[in-house]
Amino acid sequence: MNGVIAGISYRSLLGRRRVWLLVLLPVVLLALAVLLRVIGADGERATVTLLQTFAIGTMLPLLGVIAGTGVIAPEIDDGTVIHLLSKPISRPVVAQTKFLVAASVVAAFAAVPTFAAAYLLVGLESGVASGFALAALVGGVAYAAVFMLLGVVTRHAVTIGIIYAVIWEGVVGNFVPGARRYSVQQWAQTVADQVSSSVFLTTDIGIGFAVSALVIVVVGAVFWAGRRLRSFSLTGDE
Amino acid sequence: MSESLPAPPSSAPASAPAGVIHDIGYRHYDGPRLSRGHATLALTVHSLRGVFGLGRTVRAKIIPFALFGIMMLPAVVSIAMMAMLKERGMAYSQYTVIMQAIPAIFLASQSPYTVAPDLRFRVLPLYLSRPVTIRDYVSAKLAAMTAALFLLLAVPLTVLFVGELVVDMPGPAQTSEYLASLAGAAGHAVLLAALGVAIASFTPRRGLGVAAVIAFYLLSSGVSGALVGMMESVGDDAAAAWAWLISPFFVVDAAIHVGVFGLDPAADSYPGGFGVAAAILIMLGLIALSVTALILRYRKAASR
Repeated sequence: MNGVIAGISYRSLLGRRRVWLLVLLPVVLLALAVLLRVIGADGERATVTLLQTFAIGTMLPLLGVIAGTGVIAPEIDDGTVIHLLSKPISRPVVAQTKFLVAASVVAAFAAVPTFAAAYLLVGLESGVASGFALAALVGGVAYAAVFMLLGVVTRHAVTIGIIYAVIWEGVVGNFVPGARRYSVQQWAQTVADQVSSSVFLTTDIGIGFAVSALVIVVVGAVFWAGRRLRSFSLTGDE
Repeated sequence: MSESLPAPPSSAPASAPAGVIHDIGYRHYDGPRLSRGHATLALTVHSLRGVFGLGRTVRAKIIPFALFGIMMLPAVVSIAMMAMLKERGMAYSQYTVIMQAIPAIFLASQSPYTVAPDLRFRVLPLYLSRPVTIRDYVSAKLAAMTAALFLLLAVPLTVLFVGELVVDMPGPAQTSEYLASLAGAAGHAVLLAALGVAIASFTPRRGLGVAAVIAFYLLSSGVSGALVGMMESVGDDAAAAWAWLISPFFVVDAAIHVGVFGLDPAADSYPGGFGVAAAILIMLGLIALSVTALILRYRKAASR
C-alpha cells in the first residue's frame, strides 16, 4: 500500500467523467427501489428478484469493469504508467495499491446502495439487506481484482470484461448449469444466501466452494498483476 | 569570447547567395480533383473497414469476427434443424432480439474505435482542412457504424433464408418475413449506431467509451426487464407493455416488425393503438437526439 499512488488513483477514478458512470448505476438501483415501493410491489420476493437481477447481475459487473480497469488501463493506454513504474516502488505493491483503490470504490458504490435499496423495500427482514450488501461487497472486490488484472494483461480489457460478464455469466450461465460454478455473481449470491434466511433466494453452489473460489480469485489476480507489472513492456497498439 | 574562436570552415563570403532552392523534381498534382462526396465516401469506407479490424493489427480483428461468428451460430443450427428435423428454428423477426447481447457488445466495443482516436490525437483539424465538413465527418462515421451493424444483423438472416430455400421446407418460403426482418435489421442498425457513436464521442478514451455504451445497453434493458417484472407482479399488464419500450431492441421490434409489418412481437405484448405510433416516435426521436448531440459535440471539438 502506497499512499501517494492510492491518492493519484482515487483522483483519476473519481475526478473525471468516469465518476458520472459510477454514480449513475446506484442511482438507477435506488430509483427502481423507490418505484417498487411506490407502486406497492415491495414484497420480499420482488426485492430478492430486483437485487439478484439488477444489483448483482447488472450493476456489480459494470461497476467492477469501470473501477477495476479504470485504475490502471488509462495510464497504460496513454503511456504515463512509465513514470509510475520507474519509481523505486515494488511492482507488487503498485498492483496491491491499485487493487485496494478499485475494491474500495466498488464496495462504496455497490454495497452501500444495495443495502439502502433492500432496507427501503423490506427493512431488515430475514437478512435480505445485510446478505445482499455483503454479497455486493465480496463480489465487487472479486470483480475489481479480476478486471484490474485484465487491464494489466490486455488493451481490450473492458471489452473482454463485458464479454465475460454479459455472455458467460448472463447467457451461458442460464443454459449450462456447470458454467455457474465459475461465475463471480453466483459466488456472491451464495454468500448472500448464507446470510439471509429468505426462501426466495436459492443457490446451487456450496458456501465452501464459493468462499474459497472468491479468495483464490482475488489473491491470484492481485499476485499475477504484480508479477505481470514486474516484466511489463509498453507496446504500441494501433 | 566569440572573436577568439576560429571562423567555421563552411562560412562563405557575405557576397555569396545565402541559400539556394534546388529543383529536386517535386511536381504539382494536376490530376482530377474529386468532390466532397468522394472524400466522405473514402472516410466511410475507411471507418467501416476499421470497425471489422481490416487494415489494423490481427488483435483488432479477433473481437469483431468472433462476435460475427457467434451471431451466425443460430442460423447454422436452424438450417441443420430444417434439414434434419424439417422444423423451423428461430423466427426471422426475433433473431436480433434474442441475440441482442451480441450486437450490443459489438456496438460497445467497436463504436469507440470509430470516434475516440480522432478526438484523442486531435486530428480533427486535419480532416476539416479538406473539403470535408463536420456534417460530412459525422455522417461518414454514422454510415460506417450503421453499415457494420447491418452486416452483422443481416448476413445471418440472409444465410438462414438461403438455407431455407436450399433445404426446401414444406409450405411456401417465408419471403415476406425475411424481408420484414431485413427492414428491422436496418432499423436496429440505424438506431444502435446513432446511440453508440453519440455516447462514445463524449470521451476520447476508448476504454471508458466501451464501458459507457455497454452501461447504456445494460441499464436500459435491465430497467426495462425489472419494470416489466414489477408491473406484471402487480397485475398492470398495460404498464408492463409500455415498460418493454425502454429497451432499444424492443422499441425497434415494436416499431418495425409489429407496427409496420404486423408480425408477432418478440416481447409478451406491446401497447396497442397509440403505442405503435409512440414506438416509431421514440425510435425516430432517439435517432434525431443522438445525431444532434454528435454534431454539437463535434462543433465543440473542432473549435478547440
